[in-house]
Amino acid sequence: MMKQKYYKVGRRAWEIKAKPDGLTERQRARVPFTRRHWFKWRDSHNPKTLERERVLADKKPLWWFIGLTLLLVITPFLPNSMISVASIFCIYAAINVLWTLIVGTAGIFSLATLAVVGVAGYFAAAANVYFGVPWPLMFVIGPIVGLIAGAILAAPSSRLDGLYYALLTMGVAEICRVFVVQLRALTSTNGAITQVDSFIPEAWFLQRPGLLLGFVGAFCLLLGALLVWRFVNSERLGLLLRAARGSREDESFCEAVGIDFRRARLQVFLISSAALGVVGAFYAMYYRSISPTIFSLDQLLLLFSMMVIGGLGRAEGAVIGAAIVTIIDKGMLELGPLRIILVAAIMLVVTIVAREGIAGAREQFRDFRKRKAGERRALRTNKGGEAMPEEAVDVLDKQELYYRRFNKRLRTRLKLLITPELLAEHKNDPLGHHSDALSRVLNYFRRGEMADKYVIMRLKNGEEIFCIMAVSGVRGMPPRVVDDKQYDALNDAYHAVFLLRVNDLLES
Amino acid sequence: MDLGLVVYALNLAAIYALMAIGISILWSSVGMINMAHGATFAVSGYAAWIVTGAVKPAIVAAFGKTALASAVMAGALVGSALVAGALCGIVIYALAFLPIHDKPNYSVRALIITLALNIGTVQGLLYFFGPRNQGLPKIFGFGRWEIWGAKIRYDQAGAIIGAAVIMSLTLAWLRYSRRGLEVRAMMQNAEGAAYSGISRQVTALPILMLTGALAGMAAALLSQTIFVSPTSGVVPLMKGLTIALLGGLGSVPGAMIGALLIGFLEAIVGALPFLGQRYVMSATFGFIILVLIIRPRGIGGLLDDTRE
Repeated sequence: MMKQKYYKVGRRAWEIKAKPDGLTERQRARVPFTRRHWFKWRDSHNPKTLERERVLADKKPLWWFIGLTLLLVITPFLPNSMISVASIFCIYAAINVLWTLIVGTAGIFSLATLAVVGVAGYFAAAANVYFGVPWPLMFVIGPIVGLIAGAILAAPSSRLDGLYYALLTMGVAEICRVFVVQLRALTSTNGAITQVDSFIPEAWFLQRPGLLLGFVGAFCLLLGALLVWRFVNSERLGLLLRAARGSREDESFCEAVGIDFRRARLQVFLISSAALGVVGAFYAMYYRSISPTIFSLDQLLLLFSMMVIGGLGRAEGAVIGAAIVTIIDKGMLELGPLRIILVAAIMLVVTIVAREGIAGAREQFRDFRKRKAGERRALRTNKGGEAMPEEAVDVLDKQELYYRRFNKRLRTRLKLLITPELLAEHKNDPLGHHSDALSRVLNYFRRGEMADKYVIMRLKNGEEIFCIMAVSGVRGMPPRVVDDKQYDALNDAYHAVFLLRVNDLLES
Repeated sequence: MDLGLVVYALNLAAIYALMAIGISILWSSVGMINMAHGATFAVSGYAAWIVTGAVKPAIVAAFGKTALASAVMAGALVGSALVAGALCGIVIYALAFLPIHDKPNYSVRALIITLALNIGTVQGLLYFFGPRNQGLPKIFGFGRWEIWGAKIRYDQAGAIIGAAVIMSLTLAWLRYSRRGLEVRAMMQNAEGAAYSGISRQVTALPILMLTGALAGMAAALLSQTIFVSPTSGVVPLMKGLTIALLGGLGSVPGAMIGALLIGFLEAIVGALPFLGQRYVMSATFGFIILVLIIRPRGIGGLLDDTRE
């Protein structure tokens, strides 16, 4: 068979397709120790060629893999300053992903994310500097402190509404900042703890190997945050919370069916707070110091702008936003104060135009395109298509739609040709040479469908008495008599059929 | 407690109430948390600074150094601040309300847009005018009254009286004018107002202009006490927001009570010898957190409960 070439037309989304040979059993690699698969391949058949094919139903893991691999591969070849930008991006993205877990998955509008990071970082750093705890143990102290801080913060979350809770957490951050700045032990360094021991050897600090090591650490941190996201958002906890996300009614529904969404929210909050504690310990180690700026409103707003630009409540949004804002804020230092204006402008434009940030733009564009296509279809229908837009989608043979459209237009044109003169001409001479208009009309009638086609029946053999019947169009079903009129001459019968058809045409 | 402290507390309360009422009205009627209120404040301050700087030679040439001159100057300062605030309100209306008011996630998106406007404006002011503080002409003059042994500075008295006048004008406008009736209807129930033929789009513009003008007035009054700088809007914004929330968003009396409470709290904490000015912010937040934990919907929530 000759290989046919297919062109990409229509409104189907582009899909990644694999061609299995159809003989071998499908091999699906599983994630170790789980029943999950790495990629979501689905078997199907091509509707035209009937070949077997395998469709990648969820392309997100692929994009994640490509993006993270690119980051990991490209960064070692960048100059020193860009390596630190990449590391900062990883740290911010990790914080944002965990924050997204709190805001998006748990639906708690907390602004104390950086405060948790800061508190955990301060405790870990203080333990290291003042009590001589070795640095690996900072990764234990951090999450413990984060968990405690999270527990304290989470206590009023079920009582307060969104904005009130946001204000409360902002107040907590401010109190933390003032407390740290006022600590007498730290006044000599303006509230900062310096000389923190780190996984980066002191001799390497701010040198290239140290920066690369820091980047690898930050990258692992980001991976860890994404794993936490995956395990919380896409497993049981996330499912429970998704049921209660929408509105008050959803919450009532959840209570009615026995989903304890408040407990689930609290659990998510605590898990992400502990994870933020790890980030805090890492933060203190990465900079070998920690300062009160982490509690400041500016820093918080910067992180918030990342989430907003990427899209609130999505992990990919948090990462994309972190990439954009970090590149502008840390990578274009020569722009000066214009950087923040640029970030604000991006934030403004994205929020006005996009429903859910950049990560949701694709979906929004698809919706927009679908809506426009529907509108165009409706417009075509108004102009003369027979099929309603909703129906048209379901009609498999698209030829049928165009035939109906053509017929409708043809009928409207033919209607204009029907005049008293035309009828008189046909009455005069049903057969034989006709004018152009009449032959057009008759041609259309001749092509009519079998169902309800009129036929003339001779009532008695050898006698000129005729009546008109209509064919049923179904095999085995006899024709029905149209009316009880009888015609003495064949030409009269011809003309009567013609009039009936003209009547049908004008009514359609 | 001496009278000077009371006056200081009232002074703070007056400025905070101007900010908080604007935020509160805007939230309950248009459904928008206006984070650009601080930017409006700063822009109005700068507008007043530019205008007074520009017209000062003309006024001096026309009136000399008479009382009339300072009255005209005061008019120019307050008028320019009010106009600039109202213009900012129009900008916010065009960017944060009109394009998205019928789109999904409106309230969150409006908050984000106004926040972006705030950040952008503050940085823009920094870029154009630099971080230097600018002093505005003192329209109330220098000096103080002595009443029962307490010293009351003119600017404090002026701020309290000016804020009281503006607030009563606003409340009277809300109470007695046709437009004010529409605004109050929207504050009570936006959907019901829409059903009775009150257009959200049309009514939102005067509300935004009004709240902007209130912020401008606050800027004009506060500039008598402190300097104008690009970041001068941040603290009033934070205070206004916290007080609006403390008062229960959307409740004007709640916001006023909240402003009085916070004003007195700050004055007292600042005056206490072992706490001092450094702990004012923490004390405020601590107080608000306490109130919110006891009363999750703020003071206005308390008022609502008693009404029901």
